[in-house]
Amino acid sequence: MARMKFLCDAERCIECNGCVTACKNEHEVPWGVNRRRVVTLNDGLPGEKSISVACMHCSDAPCMAVCPVDCFYKTSEGVVLHDKDLCIGCGYCFYACPFGAPQFPQDGAFGMRGKMDKCTFCAGGPEADNSPGEFKKYGRNRLSEGKLPACAEMCSTKALLGGDADVVADIYRNRVLKRGKGAEVWGWGTAYGKPEKGATPPAGAKS
Amino acid sequence: MKDKMSRRKFFAAVGAGGVAAAAAVVANKGSEEHKAEAKKAARQGQGYQLSEHVRRYYETTKV
Repeated sequence: MARMKFLCDAERCIECNGCVTACKNEHEVPWGVNRRRVVTLNDGLPGEKSISVACMHCSDAPCMAVCPVDCFYKTSEGVVLHDKDLCIGCGYCFYACPFGAPQFPQDGAFGMRGKMDKCTFCAGGPEADNSPGEFKKYGRNRLSEGKLPACAEMCSTKALLGGDADVVADIYRNRVLKRGKGAEVWGWGTAYGKPEKGATPPAGAKS
Repeated sequence: MKDKMSRRKFFAAVGAGGVAAAAAVVANKGSEEHKAEAKKAARQGQGYQLSEHVRRYYETTKV
């Protein structure tokens, strides 16, 4: 059985927010709710890195552990989903999640936030696959259509990978092996050619 | 005699009412179970498939 996972390659992410836009558009997410967002570390400084963050569909999900009404469930592919008919909007999951994935449509105290909303790995919810009810509450169910999450498919640099964890890990491992280290990571070799073995590097080349 | 008959009717009516209520409870429980089953089945849903679309996506990530 395939295990669904996201992985963001920080060396490739260019902070275009295409994934955020794709998600909002695909699921018609209401204003104020961002199922996915791009976080930039050391913004404006040399070596800044960006990473696209949403629900990580944890193996031992803390949101599931703290939910007082037990509205979370996990599919056989490891996708963490929830039932909005059971959610009471208490916000415990928001406090428990280390990624800030659970979102609420309204501001306010207990009972005022509305039903929790989060990334579904484009797998819908407990309603019938691709039914209007499912779309209204959870967004599109792309997985049942034989597709992968819109954010990952839309990523222009393929920084955000999504799908079968074994395949994603293999893709990432091959990338790391291929791009090497130092200047090779950001494309020196692609732009200027890789130095031949034993040759002295051109003037100005970074290692 | 008349009173006796009336009492019998009363108990018969109570008995029939009880049976009907029990049947309604059982029927309702059945429908709740049915609903839960339907939801459970929907939760299982058709998930990830290694379709041609997905294969093509994996290929594009290798560039």
